[in-house]
Amino acid sequence: MSLGLLTLIVLGLAAFGFLLGRGRALSSVKGDPRALHSLPAYYGWSVALATAVPALLVLAAWLFVQPALLQGQIAAQLPADAAGSTDLAMADLRRIASGLDRLEGSLPAADLAALTQDPAALRGQLASAGVALGAEIDPAVLKAATDYRAAATRGQGAMVLVVALIAAAGFAIALWRIRPDLRARNLVEQLTTLVLIGCSLIAVATTFGIVASLVFESVHFFRIYDFGKFFFSTTWNPKFGGGSDLGLWPLVWGTLYVSVIALVVSVPIGLMAAIYLSEYAGRKVRSFAKPAIEILAGIPTIVYGLFALITVGPFLRDWFAQPLGLGASSSSVMTAGLVMGIMLIPFVSSLSDDIINAVPQAMRDGSYGLGATQSETVKQVVLPAALPGIVGAVLLAASRAIGETMIVVMGAGAAAKMSLNPFEAMTTVTVKIVSQLTGDTEFASPETLVAFALGLTLFCFTLALNVLALVIVRKYREQYE
Amino acid sequence: MNDMRILERDVETQTAKMTARGVQVYYGDNHALKDVDIDILQNTVTAFIGPSGCGKSTFLRCLNRMNDTVASARVLGQILLEGEDIYDKRVDPVTLRARVGMVFQKPNPFPKSIYDNVAYGPKIHGLTRSKADLDEVVETALKKAALWNEVKDRLSAPGTGLSGGQQQRLCIARAIATSPEVLLMDEPCSALDPIATAQVEELIDELRSQFSVVIVTHSMQQAARVSQRTAFFHLGNLVEFGETGQIFTNPRDPRTESYITGRIG
Repeated sequence: MSLGLLTLIVLGLAAFGFLLGRGRALSSVKGDPRALHSLPAYYGWSVALATAVPALLVLAAWLFVQPALLQGQIAAQLPADAAGSTDLAMADLRRIASGLDRLEGSLPAADLAALTQDPAALRGQLASAGVALGAEIDPAVLKAATDYRAAATRGQGAMVLVVALIAAAGFAIALWRIRPDLRARNLVEQLTTLVLIGCSLIAVATTFGIVASLVFESVHFFRIYDFGKFFFSTTWNPKFGGGSDLGLWPLVWGTLYVSVIALVVSVPIGLMAAIYLSEYAGRKVRSFAKPAIEILAGIPTIVYGLFALITVGPFLRDWFAQPLGLGASSSSVMTAGLVMGIMLIPFVSSLSDDIINAVPQAMRDGSYGLGATQSETVKQVVLPAALPGIVGAVLLAASRAIGETMIVVMGAGAAAKMSLNPFEAMTTVTVKIVSQLTGDTEFASPETLVAFALGLTLFCFTLALNVLALVIVRKYREQYE
Repeated sequence: MNDMRILERDVETQTAKMTARGVQVYYGDNHALKDVDIDILQNTVTAFIGPSGCGKSTFLRCLNRMNDTVASARVLGQILLEGEDIYDKRVDPVTLRARVGMVFQKPNPFPKSIYDNVAYGPKIHGLTRSKADLDEVVETALKKAALWNEVKDRLSAPGTGLSGGQQQRLCIARAIATSPEVLLMDEPCSALDPIATAQVEELIDELRSQFSVVIVTHSMQQAARVSQRTAFFHLGNLVEFGETGQIFTNPRDPRTESYITGRIG
């Protein structure tokens, strides 16, 4: 029985339970809903939720646990020297198993049984079914594969049985409990709370999962590459043949340089645009200008990248870099920083605008009532009151700048360098993560694994920024409440 | 009501500080204030009373052109401050508001320290020459507002950390520090408890020696306690304006009598 069908059956049972529960509640009071503790639909919901929620939870858990358990068992069966490492053997094994699944549909059962005794013929059959295998099939691996399939089928059968039993049990118990004085409304609310908790747990668990995978792979990296060299070397020079220099600093320097230029461009422009829109602009201007600025935020970063590559880069090279004698490269930190700054303007302006609007009118009245002009009021009362929010907006923009990849690839190039000259090509952490992971090197080499260490570094950077933002906001938050 | 106190109180001067003639206010199509004539006398507390929505706050906000900040508001008629029309094109509303200060219904201290809150007006108007001057202005204003003893040790603490009554007195100190000629107060005690209210009322009475004070209030007892002259507004009209004692003991208009005896409003 397939997974989808099983889910459908559970949900169907839940829907049936809803109708039955509702009907049973009504009939228990002879059709007078006023005699019930809760509205009739709540009795229906209590049955439906009791049927579906535990069954589906068990189903989800089973889907996670079964492959892990099976893999542990089968890996123990494999011969120690089976076709290189265990990982490769496992991959072969899974392909054979899935190939056998495909053949099962087209071949009679007897033929299939015969084939499993004849590895060479099987390989040909598998190839014709679209599963190409690199080497001759090792009989031991074949044996493991058939075992794997058998165990998986058994596991699935058990899963269907268990899930169906749980659904039926939930259904029966909930239905049996229905009485006029059952507090179905409270029960449904408790169950709903559980669902809500589950959803937030998924979000939290995912975060932890991502961090854990970063940490795990970074530990692998530091096993094969020197900790000190990564953190204190100032050369970034990965080589295919090994012996690379993987120093963090050129990339961090590039990231910071580009981000600082982007913020220097976006923060003043965005903030002043926000001040104009919220304090000075009339309703008509505002209703046109605000969406127009927000369109900027909707442009994909790759389009900004094109803009950097084709327009801004050559322009800066021809009008600034070459006349000033600062270089002849059209990819430069300046190009990427400027274009990224333009991209960030709507982030800063839109958020700051909302925050400035949230400053109470009473504060402005107080200032006007003392004979302050509009600009004095903005500078001395409105902006200080809005400061925590504005800092939040700026730090959000900074996180975006640090994490941005496309504009940097197309605008600033891919050369890892530490230089003060803003018209020179440099690169950032994110760009190098992409190029190290998409390269042709073996996955277990330091050249590839360094991407995870870089990712972890980046994560720490943005985390620190977020914490800083929280601290600032918390410190000044109560100012105008 | 303390009738004895009202009758004993005399109005010291009769010079008009502000004069309003035929003032009409429209909010869009809504005719909020109809044909108001009032003289605000020098060194006098004038109270505006009347039911909600009668136009008393609207008129108060006309006196320092705070209605300019409301886009839909239109003011007609003439308001003179010492003989000069405040709605004349040559008058800068910003300078006007420095001369006619305002305290609002809800305490609205700025998100700054207590010191900076009071120093705000003098700083933007350049009233002081040195830091020492400014310190003195702040101290005097806080003393006048009867707040000095409570805050002198924590002038650098945020103004928003004070209690409601202290915040309102801080706002009054802030308005005094700009040394206005007229002080407008829009229900300054509506957010305060009785003790803080008593302090603010005492303060208003002291302020009378230096400023003209105009106070909008919903409490008739308060109007009777603090003011020398009272104006009663009803449905956008100025119904009656006269000495406080006379308004409360011997009103001429039947509507005023109904209101102060609690039959309307």
